[in-house]
Amino acid sequence: MHRAVYSCSNIVGPAMIRQCLKCRVPQQLSSRAYSVVPTPRDSEEKEMLHRILRVDHAGEYGANRIYAGQMAVLGRSSIGPLIQEMWDQEKVHLAKFTEILAESRVRPTALLPFWNIAGFVLGASSALLGKEGAMACTVAVEESISEHYNSQIRALMEEDPDRYTELLQVIKEFRDDEIEHHDTGLEHDAESVPGYWILKNAIQLGCKAAIYASQRI
Amino acid sequence: MAALLRALRVGSALRGLGSVVSAPAAQPPCSSLTRGFHRAALRLQDESKADKPPSSSPSSTTYHEHYRAHSAEQEAAGAPQEHSASEPAAKEASRPNTSYQDQSGEQGEEYETEEQLQARILTAALEFIPLHGWTVEAIAAGAEMLGLSSASTGMFYNGAGDLVLHFVSQCNSQLTDILAEQHNQVQLGQAEPKKTAEFLRDAVETRLRMYIPYIETWPQAMSILLLPHNIPDSLKHLSTLVDDMWYYAGDRSTDMNWYTKRAALTGIYNTTELVMLQDSSPDFQDTWDFLDNRIQDVVNMATTAKQVQATGETVVQGLIGAAVTLKNLTGLNQRR
Repeated sequence: MHRAVYSCSNIVGPAMIRQCLKCRVPQQLSSRAYSVVPTPRDSEEKEMLHRILRVDHAGEYGANRIYAGQMAVLGRSSIGPLIQEMWDQEKVHLAKFTEILAESRVRPTALLPFWNIAGFVLGASSALLGKEGAMACTVAVEESISEHYNSQIRALMEEDPDRYTELLQVIKEFRDDEIEHHDTGLEHDAESVPGYWILKNAIQLGCKAAIYASQRI
Repeated sequence: MAALLRALRVGSALRGLGSVVSAPAAQPPCSSLTRGFHRAALRLQDESKADKPPSSSPSSTTYHEHYRAHSAEQEAAGAPQEHSASEPAAKEASRPNTSYQDQSGEQGEEYETEEQLQARILTAALEFIPLHGWTVEAIAAGAEMLGLSSASTGMFYNGAGDLVLHFVSQCNSQLTDILAEQHNQVQLGQAEPKKTAEFLRDAVETRLRMYIPYIETWPQAMSILLLPHNIPDSLKHLSTLVDDMWYYAGDRSTDMNWYTKRAALTGIYNTTELVMLQDSSPDFQDTWDFLDNRIQDVVNMATTAKQVQATGETVVQGLIGAAVTLKNLTGLNQRR
């Protein structure tokens, strides 16, 4: 019933709706004709999309820093090239999300400096536990991230799969990459690090907290 | 479904109409009454548009409607009615089909939302601000100018705050339109892109010039915006304003620069606004000079920051080089 009334008022046109009183922010204009993310139709959709993009950007930024930390310690060891390869893929992800953020005018999370340091410290300290420690950290983080991407994919599919096709494509592709990293980590003896279970769960708890915080702040 | 909606709407409009006819004095705002006022206002509007009465004063239109309602009473279909006083008006429940179709040149769904009506009233009220200040009286005068009852100020729970926020929002929209137009011209190659500092300077000046007609009363408006219940809204307007200005200036940063740039521009904008309030120079020239200086300060700070960062990096490189040299000299770098 409410929807029918709402669609009636659309006849009058968006320009008038912009003048609306209830401090609804006027439609923000973007200068790009085509973008991966569709222009939000109302403030709820905008809020949802911006949260998704903000937290994904923060996640890729953090993953980037984790690999940087691991490379700083293990860069010259035998596992160096593998970590470098995974790091390069994360860099591609980060570049893509940075581009999407800029064109959709999404506010980046204010916690970025914090993730910068925390990610590097996590990567470096897990690498200090040796090659297996670094792989265990990779497994834990990639598992968190792929679970998170999956829940985003589910949410977007529930909303409107046709509207978000390109965005879904991007997220699916990145999720597949993350799962590949996860499997690579397992292949390289991640589970043989002492205290694997506690390390993995601690890191995953931290990731969950980071995701929660980045969505809001 | 749509017809039922219309009938219900008109039914409640008529209840409101009944109360407007009987007691045109201002009444304490309560939601059903405000709905009634809104509907009554709509009906008055529709009737005045449809019938084009010789005089446009609200009272004569009201009486006109009242008589028409009486005469049309006989053909009343059974519209749901609870209030006996709305009996004559209830007649009109059967009219919506005919009256909407009768309005020549306008389609059947000539439907204005409450927000649009409020926006129209507030825009009209802006003319009366030099006279009444940023107050509910100005809103009442604006409503009367549109041919509505001055009691429609009951729609505005926030009173003068609604007026100020509406004006600020309107100014922001105008600025966004101007900036988008300039952006299009640059895209089309019809205009040269401006340097960032100059662009921001022009944008802030354009935006502040919109306050010039109301500059006498602007301190009152600013103090209204600073009231605790208005602060979230006024901050939201300010942040979207600054975000828009930076977006059109070309900022696409996605790191802490996003925050520092906007914080800097917010500071510049707010201080320039305050200076403008006390400026008595011709055409506010002192204000624009102040704005120039502040923007120059920020530009200098940004340049200095870059220099410091570059120096810092160089120093770190030097230290690493020194450490590696030491390790080589002492032989610690040998691989086993």
